[in-house]
Amino acid sequence: MNNFFSALWAETLKARRSKMPFFTTLGFTFVPLIGGLMMIILKDPEAAKSMGLISAKAQLMAGVADWPTFFGILAQAVAVGGGILFAIITIWVFGREFSDHTVKEILALPTSREAIVAAKFILIVGWALVLSFYIFGLGLVIGHLVVIPGWSAELLRSAFMDMLGTAMLTIILLPFVALFAGLGRGYLAALGWTVFTMVLSQVAAITGWGDWFPWSIPALYSGVVGPRSEQLGNHSYVIATLACTIGLIATFYWWRVADQTR
Amino acid sequence: MSHFAIETDHLSKFYGVVRAVHDVNLRVKPGEIYGFLGLNGAGKTTTIRALLGMIHASEGNVKVLGQTLGPGGRGPWAQVGHLVESPSAYPELSVRENLDIARRLHEIGNWRVVDDVIERLGLASYADRKAGTLSSGNFQRLGLARALLHSPSLLILDEPTNALDPAGIVEIRELLISLAHEHGTTIFMSSHILSEVDKLANRIGIIHHGMLIEELDAARLEEIRAHRLVIDARDIARAREALSGFDMTNLEEGRLAIKDKRAVESPETIAEILVNAGSPPTHLAIEQEDLEEYFLRLTKQS
Repeated sequence: MNNFFSALWAETLKARRSKMPFFTTLGFTFVPLIGGLMMIILKDPEAAKSMGLISAKAQLMAGVADWPTFFGILAQAVAVGGGILFAIITIWVFGREFSDHTVKEILALPTSREAIVAAKFILIVGWALVLSFYIFGLGLVIGHLVVIPGWSAELLRSAFMDMLGTAMLTIILLPFVALFAGLGRGYLAALGWTVFTMVLSQVAAITGWGDWFPWSIPALYSGVVGPRSEQLGNHSYVIATLACTIGLIATFYWWRVADQTR
Repeated sequence: MSHFAIETDHLSKFYGVVRAVHDVNLRVKPGEIYGFLGLNGAGKTTTIRALLGMIHASEGNVKVLGQTLGPGGRGPWAQVGHLVESPSAYPELSVRENLDIARRLHEIGNWRVVDDVIERLGLASYADRKAGTLSSGNFQRLGLARALLHSPSLLILDEPTNALDPAGIVEIRELLISLAHEHGTTIFMSSHILSEVDKLANRIGIIHHGMLIEELDAARLEEIRAHRLVIDARDIARAREALSGFDMTNLEEGRLAIKDKRAVESPETIAEILVNAGSPPTHLAIEQEDLEEYFLRLTKQS
């Protein structure tokens, strides 16, 4: 256990010293800001039009100016934006060892490879959750500044749980990204995998098979095409959990047996 | 219990149909400085990676410090320091932070070891500088510092003096010699600077086309290295003509070299021939083949 914490400390230091936390935070900052802007437009379309803002588009995208809609935007941003941003974090955490050729420094150590891989995953989970909480917290501040109607403590609780559920469903699909960062020994294969699953998730959702396709599930859970009870069943959660388990097992196994020639 | 710091039995590694290493039987005794030589692509780095559990043997097995390398690359890594190919470091971290990561992953509680190794490798003035901004020589020192950080009893070094300036090469050579002599550290090193290996190693292995074609200690190497008579004369063309009965090689600056045993054993005969031919020698010396020449001769033969 000791060496797991050493590995976690090392991974955290590497992340802290990089520019990645800044860029990922910056990337997620835009979401509540854009959501807030949409609420302004929806609250007073005429005033927004006179300010040069396009109200029709905002109405099409968001609907009405209230807290449930605003929270919906935040949860969908976690599902879709998080799908990309969390994948980029994963690709960086795993892929950089190959692109910086540092992988050979973490293979023959008293700290096991399993501890190092586990530490990388824990860092990613922590990082992704912090970003999700950040988007939610910033959303609350912006929502109150914009004065959106329909606030209640009960809504806050359920919106937080929705956001957390969406974040967790997005996070549990990341092990496959880590696996491809290893298989491709760098960034490209994992990026390709991320784009591939995003495209497939759209196709699956459009054709009505989204509840069976793990990478469509977070967006469906966030309510992007309607109430989740109509979109997802228990089988969806089982499939997403299965995808996580297979991805984790495959990643740990790969690090254990693959020849490292970089 | 193995009596060797490194022991490989019929180690082979294949990449598809490509045979990178074939049937290598290495025996490195504790405290030895073992020079591992080979041309580019001969199988040096593949062997080193197999010794460190980074790649799996296709056939045979590897023992390091008496322990057979296990699944997941498990081995006695707390006692092994390594530098494989070019050194690497996290560029956005300082020298000290890079070494502190290595310290933690080696489970060393005493943080002073980082300062000690920084001092030892002459990195004190760069300790807080980001690794990505270091010169290639200092980057190499950082790689060596990481290998030495935990005072390992076995060092596996791939080209340890790469990118170092002449003073740095001497410094690292002395450091390695002192580690072996004063602390009994076993050093297994590959290098393409054969003069360095010649000065350092007390045992040498030569790998060629993936096979260990020669393994010998320094004393034996001394014995079998060919000797030659190097000649310079007042009129070199006339000297060449006079010595046409010997198998000669033209050296730089117009000098001649004869490996013929008769010439090496009685240089006075050669001197007499040259005097009689009207081109007395201005330089006549028996020289020993250096490791580079021996290595090239051996690899050409095989």
